[in-house]
Amino acid sequence: MIRTEEMLLNVGPQHPSTHGVFRLVIKIDGEMIIDAKPVIGYLHRGTEKIAENLQYTQIIPYTDRLDYLAAMTNNYVLCHAVETMMELEIPERAEYLRIITMELGRIASHLVWWGTYLLDLGATSPFLYAFREREMIINLLNEISGGRLTFNYMRVGGVKWDAPDGWIEKVKAFIPYMREQLAGYGDLVTGNEIFLNRVKGIGQYTKEEAMDYSLSGANLRCTGLAWDLRKNEPYSIYDRFSFEICTADTGDAWGRYQVRIQEIEQSLRILEQAVEQFPETGEVMGKVPKVIKPPKGETFVRIESPRGEIGCYIASEGKKEPYRLKFRRPSFYNLQILPKLLVGQNMANLIAILGAIDIVLGEVDG
Amino acid sequence: MSEKDKEQLKKEAAEKARAAAQRKREEREKKKEKSNDSASEMPQTTEDVTSNQDLEKQKAAAAAKAKAAALAKKKAKEAEGTETEPTANQDLEKQKAIAIAKAKAAAAAKRKAKNANENGDSEKAKAIAAAKAKAAAAAKAKGKITQAKETEVSEPITPSPQQPILDRYLNIVKEHYKDDILEDSYINRMSKHVPTIVVKLEHYYSLALLFKQHSGLHFEFLSELHGTDFETYMEIYVHLYSFKNKQSVALKVKMDRENPRVDSIASIWPGANWPECEAYDLLGIQFTNHPDLHRIMLGEDWVGHPLRKDYEPYDVEV
Amino acid sequence: MFGLAKGLKYTLKNMTRKKLTYDYPNEPLPLPDRFRGIQKFYPEKCIVCNQCANICPTDCITLTGKKHPDSSKRGKIIDTYDINFEICILCDLCTEVCPTEAIIMTNQFELAEYSRDELFKDLVWLDENDTQLRRENKA
Ligand code: SF4
Ligand code: SF4
Repeated sequence: MIRTEEMLLNVGPQHPSTHGVFRLVIKIDGEMIIDAKPVIGYLHRGTEKIAENLQYTQIIPYTDRLDYLAAMTNNYVLCHAVETMMELEIPERAEYLRIITMELGRIASHLVWWGTYLLDLGATSPFLYAFREREMIINLLNEISGGRLTFNYMRVGGVKWDAPDGWIEKVKAFIPYMREQLAGYGDLVTGNEIFLNRVKGIGQYTKEEAMDYSLSGANLRCTGLAWDLRKNEPYSIYDRFSFEICTADTGDAWGRYQVRIQEIEQSLRILEQAVEQFPETGEVMGKVPKVIKPPKGETFVRIESPRGEIGCYIASEGKKEPYRLKFRRPSFYNLQILPKLLVGQNMANLIAILGAIDIVLGEVDG
Repeated sequence: MSEKDKEQLKKEAAEKARAAAQRKREEREKKKEKSNDSASEMPQTTEDVTSNQDLEKQKAAAAAKAKAAALAKKKAKEAEGTETEPTANQDLEKQKAIAIAKAKAAAAAKRKAKNANENGDSEKAKAIAAAKAKAAAAAKAKGKITQAKETEVSEPITPSPQQPILDRYLNIVKEHYKDDILEDSYINRMSKHVPTIVVKLEHYYSLALLFKQHSGLHFEFLSELHGTDFETYMEIYVHLYSFKNKQSVALKVKMDRENPRVDSIASIWPGANWPECEAYDLLGIQFTNHPDLHRIMLGEDWVGHPLRKDYEPYDVEV
Repeated sequence: MFGLAKGLKYTLKNMTRKKLTYDYPNEPLPLPDRFRGIQKFYPEKCIVCNQCANICPTDCITLTGKKHPDSSKRGKIIDTYDINFEICILCDLCTEVCPTEAIIMTNQFELAEYSRDELFKDLVWLDENDTQLRRENKA
């Protein structure tokens, strides 16, 4: 066997496949990765520190900027934490609007992942198709919230806007369209032999490892563990919908791919039921005190974001501002396993492994 | 190109511009002459010119104002920054003193007023009315208080659905430790009734290990780990979950604020690695036996720990 | 090979579809009414209640009021009103709290400038910014 000299290679922080500013220092021996060290923090904005001086409503726009591909779930986790502390009642209609927007966001987020992951692997056209469909979702969300990415839509006790006229019908019309496209995606990619060879058996880990490393979301479900907070610890009104937890049992990039694609289908199912049950009339804002002051104490809630388990911890002193606010950011936890997955792999698999974890750097760095 | 050349060019350009302007003016005048009612057009054009000039002036003025305002802001901020720090304490004390004095004065005034009311015949009726109103308000308030009390009383009576689970945890802990290693244990109702256990610092690691390995507890998933600066002490909050038993627990440990140091649990749950780095970076908590403790977000050369309540932003360039 | 052929079929099917891209700089982008763009300010409506400056999460609004020139009227009128668009995140909170709708959103989003100073918009500029106003401003 030919021995080669070890080399230190710097990937990023401005590398297109890292989807943000993420740096990876890898040590390679020929084509083999023998050590990897992720360097993060380039996008750290100190959201938690800033939030200590802000009122709860003012923090909501900041949560938009954590996981900027699925800002609705971030909006929701903060509102949900405050509502849990104050034991607020949320009007029915608002709950439905929240679910609809969150599930639309989940689909959009998975579409971005799908498109960019295949782009990383060398296929250009799926990216364009995915962004075409995502643009429709973004337009829907723009119509209801007034923002394309940073929605700032949810409020403690409800949502800011009611659905505009005809919006629900548009969502209704989008569901079959998306189904059709999803089938097309299957034709385009899922059966493609080149793609399958590229992802099968790549970045594999076991269920125990996934649990040890605190992985969540598709990264956990791909090992066969049926764990979805929407089902296992239902929040909001998720217990009213029937849907399945998508799992795969391979624990590799291929499993993660399957889980995410199936999740789009399940989200469409939830959407279908939600628009069907959507109440005709009703308030979108519950009875909320003028100044939001959660009682003294602390809370930790967690919900299922497209990337995994997003949590929010609030320690309150009974003031307008939180004493301490902390987000459990799923990408931050999910990324930890990366060095372990990379060691012993071929260089060419680096991007395939990193991409399959599905990170958003805004969330990793907080 | 030399300076002279440049100047030459400039001059030429200026002359050209002047010539062009001249031409334009001439053309315009010609046009005016052509048009029959030159009298009506004349004032219009002049107006146009002046309005344009005015606009520009206004814009310039506005811009100047805006800049001035920005400057003033900056100055004011600076002044604040330098002045308030040393005097803040004094000010606060003064304010407090003033407030107390005011409150006393107000109380005295009230007393006087009451006396006066009682003395004055004409004002009796009013006073009675006021008294009635007050009484009604008081009654209401009382009602509220009793209500509140009732709810307060009734709450502990309805035990949390999680209480038996907490008891089970406590029993297991008792089985394994002879002495009392817990500082506190309660159900956190505000946090979806999660059983919360506060452990003594020196037993934190061994209890964490027990939580993971004991078959009745089996918390194999670390959902969250973070620190908080509570000004009198530091705290680590760990949220654990057991997929096997479908139960969760919040484990807390308090430590000294000046020299926060705690055992790392990254060897039990590898997922605690980065969160501990984050707590070290942002709060300065030292984790002993951590595999790779580094400042994960801010970098090694950052001064201070931002999430500490006494953090002073330090920046060489400012 | 079968997989590749199936993929090709999807690609071919998409060739006949309508174009979905916008000819953006040449044609304005179609935006929904609720879109949050650069604010429009009505000085005559403002009651100098300071709510917008207080709710702003990035502290980018500065305003000062002065006494009403007509001394028979109480209250204040606006004197200066500046928004610093270097840090405004167009979050919509200022327009949400304003009791008189003196500040509302427009559908304009083109803020590119050659200098940072130009992003400091004052009362006059915000007053003149009166195209594509948002119709629905209160939820
Ligand atoms: S949109 Fe938001 S950031 Fe901008 S001025 Fe209004 S409140 Fe401030
Ligand atoms: S909230 Fe409206 S009325 Fe009050 S100061 Fe701001 S712009 Fe003026």
